[in-house]
Amino acid sequence: MVYKPVPATAAAPEVNLGDAFVTTTVDAVVNWGRRNSLWPFPFGTACCAIEFMGMVSSMFDVSRFGAELVRFSPRQADLLIVAGTVTYKQAPVLRRIYDQMLEPKWVISAGACATSGGFYDCYCTVPGIDEIIPVDIYIAGCPPRPEAFLEAIVQLQKKIDRENRNERAIIGGAA
Amino acid sequence: MSAAADTACPAIQAGLTAEAILALLAPLGGAKDPADRWGLTVIVPREQLRAAMQLLRDGETTRFDLCLDVAGIDYLGYPDWRGPRFAVSYPLKSTVFRHRVTIKVQVDEDDASVPSLHDVWSSCDWAERETWDQYGIVFAGHPNLKRLLNHHEFVGHPLRKDYPCQKRQKLSVNDPMVDQLQAKLRALGYEILEQPAVTPGMPLTQKEIAK
Repeated sequence: MVYKPVPATAAAPEVNLGDAFVTTTVDAVVNWGRRNSLWPFPFGTACCAIEFMGMVSSMFDVSRFGAELVRFSPRQADLLIVAGTVTYKQAPVLRRIYDQMLEPKWVISAGACATSGGFYDCYCTVPGIDEIIPVDIYIAGCPPRPEAFLEAIVQLQKKIDRENRNERAIIGGAA
Repeated sequence: MSAAADTACPAIQAGLTAEAILALLAPLGGAKDPADRWGLTVIVPREQLRAAMQLLRDGETTRFDLCLDVAGIDYLGYPDWRGPRFAVSYPLKSTVFRHRVTIKVQVDEDDASVPSLHDVWSSCDWAERETWDQYGIVFAGHPNLKRLLNHHEFVGHPLRKDYPCQKRQKLSVNDPMVDQLQAKLRALGYEILEQPAVTPGMPLTQKEIAK
Protein backbone atom coordinates (compact mmCIF):
# COMPACT_ATOMS: atom_id res chain seq x y z
CA MET A 1 0.00 0.00 0.00
CA VAL A 2 1.32 3.38 -0.89
CA TYR A 3 0.32 6.33 1.28
CA LYS A 4 1.38 9.81 1.98
CA PRO A 5 2.75 10.35 5.51
CA VAL A 6 0.93 12.92 7.59
CA PRO A 7 3.31 15.75 8.54
CA ALA A 8 4.03 15.78 12.29
CA THR A 9 2.97 18.83 14.18
CA ALA A 10 5.76 20.67 15.95
CA ALA A 11 3.89 20.82 19.29
CA ALA A 12 3.14 17.12 19.95
CA PRO A 13 4.65 14.90 17.30
CA GLU A 14 3.66 11.64 19.05
CA VAL A 15 -0.08 12.18 18.57
CA ASN A 16 0.45 11.32 14.96
CA LEU A 17 1.48 7.81 15.91
CA GLY A 18 -1.92 6.99 17.38
CA ASP A 19 -1.89 3.82 19.53
CA ALA A 20 1.59 2.78 18.41
CA PHE A 21 3.04 3.34 21.89
CA VAL A 22 2.07 4.14 25.45
CA THR A 23 3.88 6.26 27.98
CA THR A 24 4.93 4.84 31.34
CA THR A 25 7.81 4.98 33.84
CA VAL A 26 10.89 2.80 34.02
CA ASP A 27 9.89 1.63 37.53
CA ALA A 28 6.49 0.46 36.38
CA VAL A 29 7.90 -1.61 33.51
CA VAL A 30 10.81 -3.07 35.50
CA ASN A 31 8.64 -3.92 38.50
CA TRP A 32 6.00 -5.50 36.25
CA GLY A 33 8.65 -7.78 34.83
CA ARG A 34 10.21 -8.63 38.16
CA ARG A 35 7.04 -9.34 40.08
CA ASN A 36 5.58 -11.68 37.50
CA SER A 37 8.73 -13.73 37.09
CA LEU A 38 10.05 -14.63 40.54
CA TRP A 39 12.51 -17.54 40.66
CA PRO A 40 12.32 -19.07 44.11
CA PHE A 41 15.12 -20.86 45.95
CA PRO A 42 13.73 -23.12 48.68
CA PHE A 43 15.78 -23.26 51.89
CA GLY A 44 13.65 -25.99 53.40
CA THR A 45 14.67 -27.47 56.75
CA ALA A 46 11.40 -28.72 58.23
CA CYS A 47 7.70 -29.37 57.63
CA CYS A 48 7.14 -25.90 56.12
CA ALA A 49 9.12 -27.13 53.10
CA ILE A 50 6.49 -29.86 52.57
CA GLU A 51 3.84 -27.14 52.36
CA PHE A 52 6.08 -25.29 49.93
CA MET A 53 6.05 -28.42 47.75
CA GLY A 54 2.27 -28.35 47.95
CA MET A 55 2.24 -24.76 46.75
CA VAL A 56 4.51 -25.53 43.80
CA SER A 57 2.62 -28.66 42.72
CA SER A 58 -0.45 -28.80 40.52
CA MET A 59 -3.10 -28.61 43.26
CA PHE A 60 -2.23 -25.07 44.33
CA ASP A 61 -0.02 -24.23 41.38
CA VAL A 62 2.17 -21.23 42.04
CA SER A 63 2.76 -20.93 38.30
CA ARG A 64 -0.53 -19.01 38.22
CA PHE A 65 1.51 -16.27 39.89
CA GLY A 66 4.60 -16.63 37.76
CA ALA A 67 6.89 -18.08 40.44
CA GLU A 68 6.99 -21.73 39.44
CA LEU A 69 10.60 -21.97 38.25
CA VAL A 70 12.21 -23.33 41.42
CA ARG A 71 16.00 -23.11 41.27
CA PHE A 72 18.40 -25.05 43.46
CA SER A 73 21.30 -22.69 42.93
CA PRO A 74 21.15 -19.33 44.71
CA ARG A 75 22.93 -17.77 41.74
CA GLN A 76 19.88 -18.45 39.55
CA ALA A 77 17.22 -17.32 42.01
CA ASP A 78 15.85 -13.99 43.17
CA LEU A 79 13.43 -15.15 45.87
CA LEU A 80 14.76 -16.97 48.94
CA ILE A 81 12.03 -18.90 50.75
CA VAL A 82 13.26 -19.99 54.18
CA ALA A 83 10.86 -22.73 55.24
CA GLY A 84 11.76 -24.33 58.54
CA THR A 85 13.86 -24.14 61.68
CA VAL A 86 17.30 -22.56 61.41
CA THR A 87 19.92 -23.39 64.05
CA TYR A 88 23.01 -21.42 64.92
CA LYS A 89 25.08 -24.14 63.32
CA GLN A 90 23.23 -23.60 60.03
CA ALA A 91 23.20 -19.83 60.22
CA PRO A 92 26.47 -19.25 58.29
CA VAL A 93 25.17 -21.47 55.50
CA LEU A 94 21.94 -19.49 55.17
CA ARG A 95 23.88 -16.24 55.23
CA ARG A 96 26.19 -17.48 52.49
CA ILE A 97 23.30 -18.58 50.29
CA TYR A 98 21.73 -15.14 50.66
CA ASP A 99 25.05 -13.47 49.81
CA GLN A 100 25.38 -15.63 46.70
CA MET A 101 22.04 -14.49 45.28
CA LEU A 102 22.22 -11.66 42.78
CA GLU A 103 20.39 -8.37 43.17
CA PRO A 104 17.53 -7.75 43.08
CA LYS A 105 16.53 -10.36 45.65
CA TRP A 106 13.75 -10.88 48.15
CA VAL A 107 13.24 -13.13 51.16
CA ILE A 108 10.11 -14.83 52.46
CA SER A 109 10.27 -16.20 56.01
CA ALA A 110 7.80 -19.08 56.02
CA GLY A 111 6.30 -20.33 59.24
CA ALA A 112 6.76 -19.83 62.96
CA CYS A 113 10.31 -21.22 63.21
CA ALA A 114 11.90 -19.12 60.49
CA THR A 115 10.02 -16.05 61.70
CA SER A 116 10.60 -16.27 65.45
CA GLY A 117 12.22 -19.60 66.33
CA GLY A 118 8.72 -20.97 66.93
CA PHE A 119 8.41 -23.17 69.99
CA TYR A 120 12.16 -23.86 69.96
CA ASP A 121 12.93 -21.34 72.67
CA CYS A 122 16.25 -23.04 73.37
CA TYR A 123 20.03 -22.90 73.21
CA CYS A 124 20.47 -23.93 69.58
CA THR A 125 17.74 -22.25 67.51
CA VAL A 126 18.01 -18.83 65.88
CA PRO A 127 15.02 -16.79 67.14
CA GLY A 128 14.01 -15.61 63.69
CA ILE A 129 16.08 -15.48 60.50
CA ASP A 130 15.94 -11.68 60.50
CA GLU A 131 18.85 -11.99 62.94
CA ILE A 132 20.89 -13.16 59.94
CA ILE A 133 19.37 -11.77 56.72
CA PRO A 134 16.79 -9.12 55.81
CA VAL A 135 13.23 -10.40 55.35
CA ASP A 136 10.51 -8.97 53.10
CA ILE A 137 7.45 -11.07 53.96
CA TYR A 138 6.69 -13.19 57.04
CA ILE A 139 4.18 -16.04 56.95
CA ALA A 140 2.48 -17.16 60.15
CA GLY A 141 1.53 -20.79 60.77
CA CYS A 142 3.05 -24.03 61.98
CA PRO A 143 3.26 -25.00 59.20
CA PRO A 144 1.41 -22.47 57.03
CA ARG A 145 -1.00 -23.88 54.45
CA PRO A 146 -0.09 -23.58 50.75
CA GLU A 147 -2.69 -20.81 50.43
CA ALA A 148 -0.66 -18.81 52.94
CA PHE A 149 2.43 -19.26 50.78
CA LEU A 150 0.45 -18.02 47.77
CA GLU A 151 -0.74 -15.04 49.80
CA ALA A 152 2.88 -14.27 50.62
CA ILE A 153 3.78 -14.38 46.92
CA VAL A 154 0.91 -11.98 46.13
CA GLN A 155 1.92 -9.66 48.97
CA LEU A 156 5.50 -9.70 47.74
CA GLN A 157 4.32 -8.87 44.22
CA LYS A 158 2.47 -5.86 45.61
CA LYS A 159 5.60 -4.83 47.48
CA ILE A 160 7.75 -5.15 44.36
CA ASP A 161 5.19 -3.05 42.50
CA ARG A 162 5.81 -0.19 44.90
CA GLU A 163 9.59 -0.37 44.57
CA ASN A 164 11.55 2.59 43.32
CA ARG A 165 14.90 2.44 41.57
CA ASN A 166 16.34 5.37 43.47
CA GLU A 167 15.28 4.02 46.84
CA ARG A 168 16.76 0.60 46.11
CA ALA A 169 20.05 2.26 45.19
CA ILE A 170 20.02 4.27 48.42
CA ILE A 171 19.51 1.24 50.66
CA GLY A 172 22.36 -0.54 48.93
CA GLY A 173 20.56 -2.80 46.48
CA ALA A 174 21.05 -2.80 42.75
CA ALA A 175 18.66 -0.55 40.89
CA MET B 1 6.24 -65.63 70.91
CA SER B 2 4.90 -69.14 71.54
CA ALA B 3 6.07 -71.37 74.34
CA ALA B 4 7.77 -73.70 71.87
CA ALA B 5 9.80 -70.88 70.41
CA ASP B 6 10.74 -69.75 73.91
CA THR B 7 12.25 -73.08 74.81
CA ALA B 8 14.10 -73.16 71.49
CA CYS B 9 15.89 -69.93 72.33
CA PRO B 10 19.49 -70.80 73.32
CA ALA B 11 19.67 -67.98 75.82
CA ILE B 12 16.65 -69.28 77.66
CA GLN B 13 17.99 -72.82 77.44
CA ALA B 14 21.12 -71.43 79.01
CA GLY B 15 18.95 -69.88 81.68
CA LEU B 16 19.42 -66.25 80.74
CA THR B 17 17.06 -64.58 83.14
CA ALA B 18 17.46 -61.30 84.96
CA GLU B 19 18.98 -63.27 87.80
CA ALA B 20 21.45 -64.89 85.43
CA ILE B 21 22.62 -61.53 84.09
CA LEU B 22 22.96 -60.21 87.63
CA ALA B 23 24.92 -63.30 88.62
CA LEU B 24 27.16 -62.82 85.60
CA LEU B 25 27.91 -59.21 86.53
CA ALA B 26 28.09 -59.67 90.30
CA PRO B 27 31.85 -60.54 90.29
CA LEU B 28 32.43 -57.24 88.48
CA GLY B 29 30.49 -55.32 91.11
CA GLY B 30 27.21 -55.12 89.18
CA ALA B 31 24.06 -54.44 91.21
CA LYS B 32 20.41 -54.12 90.20
CA ASP B 33 19.09 -50.59 89.94
CA PRO B 34 15.91 -50.45 92.06
CA ALA B 35 14.78 -47.31 90.22
CA ASP B 36 14.10 -49.31 87.03
CA ARG B 37 10.63 -50.75 87.56
CA TRP B 38 10.00 -51.98 83.99
CA GLY B 39 13.15 -53.61 82.73
CA LEU B 40 16.54 -54.67 84.03
CA THR B 41 19.13 -52.00 84.74
CA VAL B 42 22.47 -53.01 86.23
CA ILE B 43 24.71 -50.42 87.86
CA VAL B 44 28.35 -51.24 87.19
CA PRO B 45 31.37 -49.49 88.76
CA ARG B 46 33.28 -47.33 86.33
CA GLU B 47 36.52 -49.34 86.63
CA GLN B 48 34.75 -52.55 85.55
CA LEU B 49 32.69 -51.02 82.73
CA ARG B 50 34.83 -52.18 79.82
CA ALA B 51 35.24 -55.69 81.25
CA ALA B 52 31.48 -55.96 81.88
CA MET B 53 30.59 -54.70 78.39
CA GLN B 54 33.01 -57.06 76.66
CA LEU B 55 31.60 -59.92 78.71
CA LEU B 56 28.04 -59.01 77.70
CA ARG B 57 28.96 -58.63 74.03
CA ASP B 58 30.99 -61.82 73.67
CA GLY B 59 29.35 -64.16 76.22
CA GLU B 60 27.84 -67.30 74.65
CA THR B 61 24.56 -66.80 76.48
CA THR B 62 24.37 -63.02 76.31
CA ARG B 63 25.56 -61.89 72.84
CA PHE B 64 24.52 -58.25 73.27
CA ASP B 65 25.68 -57.14 69.84
CA LEU B 66 23.90 -53.79 69.72
CA CYS B 67 24.54 -50.73 71.84
CA LEU B 68 21.42 -48.68 71.16
CA ASP B 69 22.43 -45.42 72.79
CA VAL B 70 24.76 -43.69 75.20
CA ALA B 71 22.52 -41.51 77.33
CA GLY B 72 23.73 -38.98 79.88
CA ILE B 73 21.71 -38.20 82.98
CA ASP B 74 22.09 -35.12 85.17
CA TYR B 75 20.55 -35.62 88.61
CA LEU B 76 20.93 -31.97 89.66
CA GLY B 77 17.64 -31.00 91.30
CA TYR B 78 16.32 -34.58 91.25
CA PRO B 79 14.06 -35.07 94.28
CA ASP B 80 15.74 -36.81 97.23
CA TRP B 81 18.85 -37.67 95.25
CA ARG B 82 22.01 -38.39 97.24
CA GLY B 83 24.13 -40.18 94.64
CA PRO B 84 26.70 -38.72 92.25
CA ARG B 85 25.50 -35.92 89.99
CA PHE B 86 25.81 -37.69 86.62
CA ALA B 87 25.18 -41.12 85.20
CA VAL B 88 25.68 -42.69 81.77
CA SER B 89 23.20 -45.29 80.62
CA TYR B 90 23.81 -47.86 77.87
CA PRO B 91 20.71 -49.72 76.59
CA LEU B 92 21.90 -52.97 75.01
CA LYS B 93 20.07 -55.40 72.78
CA SER B 94 20.92 -58.82 71.43
CA THR B 95 19.76 -59.37 67.86
CA VAL B 96 20.59 -63.07 68.34
CA PHE B 97 18.47 -63.76 71.43
CA ARG B 98 16.30 -60.63 71.34
CA HIS B 99 16.74 -59.68 74.95
CA ARG B 100 17.63 -56.34 76.43
CA VAL B 101 19.48 -54.95 79.40
CA THR B 102 20.53 -51.46 80.45
CA ILE B 103 23.93 -50.82 81.99
CA LYS B 104 24.40 -47.71 84.05
CA VAL B 105 27.55 -46.03 85.34
CA GLN B 106 27.49 -43.37 88.00
CA VAL B 107 29.80 -40.41 87.43
CA ASP B 108 31.00 -37.82 89.90
CA GLU B 109 30.90 -34.17 88.98
CA ASP B 110 34.53 -33.59 90.00
CA ASP B 111 35.85 -36.47 87.91
CA ALA B 112 33.30 -36.70 85.08
CA SER B 113 35.05 -39.36 83.05
CA VAL B 114 34.02 -42.78 81.74
CA PRO B 115 36.12 -45.25 79.71
CA SER B 116 35.25 -45.11 76.03
CA LEU B 117 33.56 -48.10 74.38
CA HIS B 118 34.13 -47.02 70.78
CA ASP B 119 36.12 -50.22 70.11
CA VAL B 120 33.48 -52.47 71.73
CA TRP B 121 30.56 -51.17 69.67
CA SER B 122 31.33 -48.72 66.87
CA SER B 123 27.90 -47.12 67.45
CA CYS B 124 29.35 -45.74 70.68
CA ASP B 125 31.70 -43.47 68.72
CA TRP B 126 29.21 -40.75 67.79
CA ALA B 127 26.91 -41.49 70.74
CA GLU B 128 29.77 -40.76 73.15
CA ARG B 129 30.60 -37.58 71.25
CA GLU B 130 27.00 -36.46 71.62
CA THR B 131 26.97 -37.23 75.36
CA TRP B 132 30.21 -35.34 75.83
CA ASP B 133 28.83 -32.42 73.82
CA GLN B 134 25.57 -32.17 75.76
CA TYR B 135 26.69 -33.17 79.28
CA GLY B 136 30.45 -32.62 79.42
CA ILE B 137 31.18 -36.20 80.44
CA VAL B 138 34.61 -37.17 79.12
CA PHE B 139 34.99 -40.58 77.46
CA ALA B 140 38.58 -41.52 78.18
CA GLY B 141 40.32 -43.15 75.23
CA HIS B 142 37.91 -41.85 72.57
CA PRO B 143 39.89 -41.14 69.37
CA ASN B 144 38.00 -38.00 68.29
CA LEU B 145 36.08 -36.51 71.18
CA LYS B 146 34.72 -33.35 69.56
CA ARG B 147 31.26 -31.83 69.56
CA LEU B 148 28.66 -33.61 67.47
CA LEU B 149 25.43 -31.58 67.68
CA ASN B 150 26.50 -28.13 68.83
CA HIS B 151 28.81 -25.98 66.77
CA HIS B 152 32.54 -25.85 67.42
CA GLU B 153 32.50 -22.38 68.98
CA PHE B 154 29.90 -23.41 71.57
CA VAL B 155 30.94 -22.97 75.20
CA GLY B 156 29.40 -25.15 77.90
CA HIS B 157 27.18 -28.21 77.85
CA PRO B 158 23.52 -27.33 77.23
CA LEU B 159 21.75 -30.39 78.69
CA ARG B 160 23.29 -29.84 82.10
CA LYS B 161 20.52 -28.69 84.40
CA ASP B 162 22.45 -25.57 85.37
CA TYR B 163 22.98 -24.37 81.77
CA PRO B 164 20.89 -21.25 81.07
CA CYS B 165 18.79 -22.77 78.30
CA GLN B 166 17.87 -19.46 76.68
CA LYS B 167 21.48 -18.36 76.32
CA ARG B 168 22.22 -18.00 72.61
CA GLN B 169 25.68 -18.64 71.16
CA LYS B 170 26.34 -17.44 67.64
CA LEU B 171 28.70 -19.16 65.25
CA SER B 172 31.07 -16.85 63.39
CA VAL B 173 32.82 -19.36 61.11
CA ASN B 174 31.37 -22.73 60.20
CA ASP B 175 33.12 -26.09 60.35
CA PRO B 176 32.93 -28.26 57.20
CA MET B 177 32.85 -31.38 59.44
CA VAL B 178 34.50 -33.67 56.91
CA ASP B 179 37.51 -34.74 58.99
CA GLN B 180 36.21 -38.28 59.61
CA LEU B 181 35.01 -38.62 56.02
CA GLN B 182 38.40 -37.53 54.69
CA ALA B 183 40.21 -39.97 57.00
CA LYS B 184 38.03 -42.78 55.65
CA LEU B 185 38.65 -41.72 52.05
CA ARG B 186 42.41 -41.58 52.65
CA ALA B 187 42.27 -45.06 54.17
CA LEU B 188 40.60 -46.25 50.97
CA GLY B 189 43.44 -44.77 48.91
CA TYR B 190 41.82 -41.54 47.78
CA GLU B 191 43.81 -38.35 47.65
CA ILE B 192 42.12 -35.17 48.91
CA LEU B 193 42.89 -32.47 46.33
CA GLU B 194 40.87 -29.59 47.72
CA GLN B 195 39.56 -28.72 51.16
CA PRO B 196 35.97 -27.45 51.44
CA ALA B 197 35.52 -23.72 51.82
CA VAL B 198 35.13 -22.37 55.31
CA THR B 199 32.18 -20.01 55.37
CA PRO B 200 32.44 -16.82 57.36
CA GLY B 201 28.89 -16.52 58.51
CA MET B 202 26.93 -14.61 61.08
CA PRO B 203 28.35 -11.18 61.69
CA LEU B 204 29.05 -10.73 65.39
CA THR B 205 28.28 -7.47 67.10
CA GLN B 206 31.12 -5.55 68.75
CA LYS B 207 29.71 -6.55 72.15
CA GLU B 208 29.88 -10.21 71.23
CA ILE B 209 33.43 -9.90 69.91
CA ALA B 210 34.47 -8.26 73.18
CA LYS B 211 33.17 -11.33 75.05
